[in-house]
Amino acid sequence: MNTGTYISGIGHVLLIAWVLFGGLFHRSQDTVSVKATDVSIISEEEFAALTRPQAPPVNPEPIAIPTEPTPPQSEDSAVPEPATEKPPESPEPPQAETPPAGEENPVVEGPPTPPPTEQVDVPEPPSDTPTPRAAPRIAETPTEPVPPETQPSDTVSEEVTPDPTAETPKPETDATAPPETTTRTVTEADTPASSAPIASIRPVARPQKSARPAPQKPPAEDDATAAAIAAAVSEANDTPAPQTETPRPASPSGPPLSRGEKDALRVAVSSCWNVGSLSSDALRTTVVVAVSLSRDGKPKPGSIRMLSSSGGSAGSEKQAFDAARRAILRCGARGYKLPSEKYDRWRDIEITFNPEKMRIK
Amino acid sequence: MTCLRILTLVLALTGLSALTSSYALAQEDPGPLRITIEEGVIEPLPFAVPDFIAENGAAKEYATKIARVVAADLQGTGLFREIPKDAFISAVTSFDSPVQYADWKAINAQALITGAVSVGSGGRLTVKFRVYDVFSGAPLGKGLQFGGTTGSWRRMGHKVADAVYSRITGEGPYFDSRVVFIAESGPKNARKKRLAIMDYDGANVQYLTDDRSLVLAPRFSPTGDRILYTSYESGFPKVYLLDVANVRRRVLDDQPGTMSFAPRFSPNGRTVLLSLSVGGNTDIFSYDLASGQRKRLTSAPSIEIAPSFSPDGSQIVFTSDRSGTSQLYIMPSGGGEPRRISGGKGRYNTPVWSPRGDLIAFTKQSKGSFHIGVMRVDGSEERLLTTSFLDEGPTWSPNGRVIMFTRETAGASGSSALYSVDITGRVLKRVPTNTPASDPAWSPLLK
Repeated sequence: MNTGTYISGIGHVLLIAWVLFGGLFHRSQDTVSVKATDVSIISEEEFAALTRPQAPPVNPEPIAIPTEPTPPQSEDSAVPEPATEKPPESPEPPQAETPPAGEENPVVEGPPTPPPTEQVDVPEPPSDTPTPRAAPRIAETPTEPVPPETQPSDTVSEEVTPDPTAETPKPETDATAPPETTTRTVTEADTPASSAPIASIRPVARPQKSARPAPQKPPAEDDATAAAIAAAVSEANDTPAPQTETPRPASPSGPPLSRGEKDALRVAVSSCWNVGSLSSDALRTTVVVAVSLSRDGKPKPGSIRMLSSSGGSAGSEKQAFDAARRAILRCGARGYKLPSEKYDRWRDIEITFNPEKMRIK
Repeated sequence: MTCLRILTLVLALTGLSALTSSYALAQEDPGPLRITIEEGVIEPLPFAVPDFIAENGAAKEYATKIARVVAADLQGTGLFREIPKDAFISAVTSFDSPVQYADWKAINAQALITGAVSVGSGGRLTVKFRVYDVFSGAPLGKGLQFGGTTGSWRRMGHKVADAVYSRITGEGPYFDSRVVFIAESGPKNARKKRLAIMDYDGANVQYLTDDRSLVLAPRFSPTGDRILYTSYESGFPKVYLLDVANVRRRVLDDQPGTMSFAPRFSPNGRTVLLSLSVGGNTDIFSYDLASGQRKRLTSAPSIEIAPSFSPDGSQIVFTSDRSGTSQLYIMPSGGGEPRRISGGKGRYNTPVWSPRGDLIAFTKQSKGSFHIGVMRVDGSEERLLTTSFLDEGPTWSPNGRVIMFTRETAGASGSSALYSVDITGRVLKRVPTNTPASDPAWSPLLK
């Protein structure tokens, strides 16, 4: 739960930072306005001369834009500027470096981020550059297609020939038992024809948190012997027998009580908090009472104690505390209805009894 | 575009804020669960009083009766509810036998009172008791024991009830107290009035005067051994001082041509406040009981009446019509510029300062009805506790929790009776008396 919270928090912070400094909504797009192109009137002869078929160049220019428009001298914003319309030379959008999907998973578990140099192979998005004429790019005589084996690669690549000894990649399945979970050595000869798992293993249960390690049972003694030894040790130490109750953790664990569960407890106690027989002084006394509950929700009478009081006279504290204690004990006689799985959360309770609203007006 | 950018930024910040909040909730204080309760219930506390154990034969007569007095006292407060005996599961057979808490829990008895009675040589009655907090499974304080004559068995019951009441509520006790009042007889147009005294619950009525002269407005001294009252014995209203022990009386400040009434003791019992009507004008005076010296405290041409000391004796609250209608004022006990504290519509009369010093009870006449009410000493938080054809003359219980007053019904056949109400206004009940009664005055707690 905390991991998700951290990730979400970091995501929000990054989003804010991105909005503030990343230029997500950069005004560069505001400059995309009406495009205008300078034209000039030419004669028919000039047009014919221009469209006359020519012999294909032996070495075509990589950039077949012979009529690249010259930037005007003026600073007119209506004049298109191809350079500005092109994507950045080294496109490093924030998404590429820190993709949102990658943030949802721990970095150590995700695939390695590809180096920036590999971004070069990414095809560039279509440009708004004016398309060159077809004439220089279409040869009159089609050339023979170049066989792929005659095109040596400039870069050394891995052997692509299938290795017969390599493992055949298994199709992805929902649940596959890892090989280390098996207790039997499986040879290739024993490999079943189908790689589909026959049965999925049970997921490992979350270990129980406990402050104290569980006492280890002597391995070589039976239960009767262990019980006798435990009783003897207990008697010798004059201490009570080991409680079957779970040892109290240093701090409560598990999910906290919901608001509804707290309200239910509050209503249960308040329904027995009878202030009708309290003195005026006691009705001005706020007491904080501590109580411990057993696992069945019943208060332990010996655990009820007053932690503090305020507002009233010293003599009224006792009456206020007595009324609070009666309330806790009466309505808890059958056990407060609290979620047993959250026992650590409600084992110890501090209840503030504030009679301010119950005073004589 | 700028708007979109700002909107995106706001949304991102909102998301981050929500994320932070949820994270904070998830990472809440790892200590104990903490809840706050601000609203409870107001209902009588169920209690059980089994018959007290008679530890000898002579005590059997009192064992049950004392237990009944205890139960009646507690139930009468409205703060407790007695569980009937037939609901009991277990019986208390011995004062020292262990309490079967489970049996009392089963019938929802939150407090259990057990006691034992014995009559020793010379008719000395001994009562001992314990109070248990059933759901806590422990005694509520230590056991107590009272001793007295068999004739005072009711007082001993009140004592037990006072102790239980104080232990559970935290309030001061008030059951072991008495009330002096005017016992009335005869038709409304020819009513006869006598000075009478009784236990706070209406028992043990004794008459202190006969009905040959009209008597009014009795007041207890701070020690409860003397009573001030107004009598028309001489044909004019005069203030008398009566010794409760021997019923001897004497008139105070007997000046010819004056009328004195509405007396009240000072907290130390050495000074009496009273109103004197001289030459058609009524003002408040203090009267020193030892020296007989009189001191004028007000000198306005209006009517100043019904003074009452604050518990510390530093201030006096009284009624004056100097503003045109009867209103409440406070002035220093030695006299001085009064300060009006009542601000509501209507007429205010008979103010009485609470023994706690925090409230002033009064009679209010408004829109054809009478009310008993209370307000803070600065006049704030006025609350009317009762409403009827005629409610008047409040008096405080020794602990300042209950007010007793006179309620008179309408019509020619109407009569007056004593009622009590607690300061919440929720517990109103009639005080049983053998005859119509009026003008109650609560004594301090008996010694």
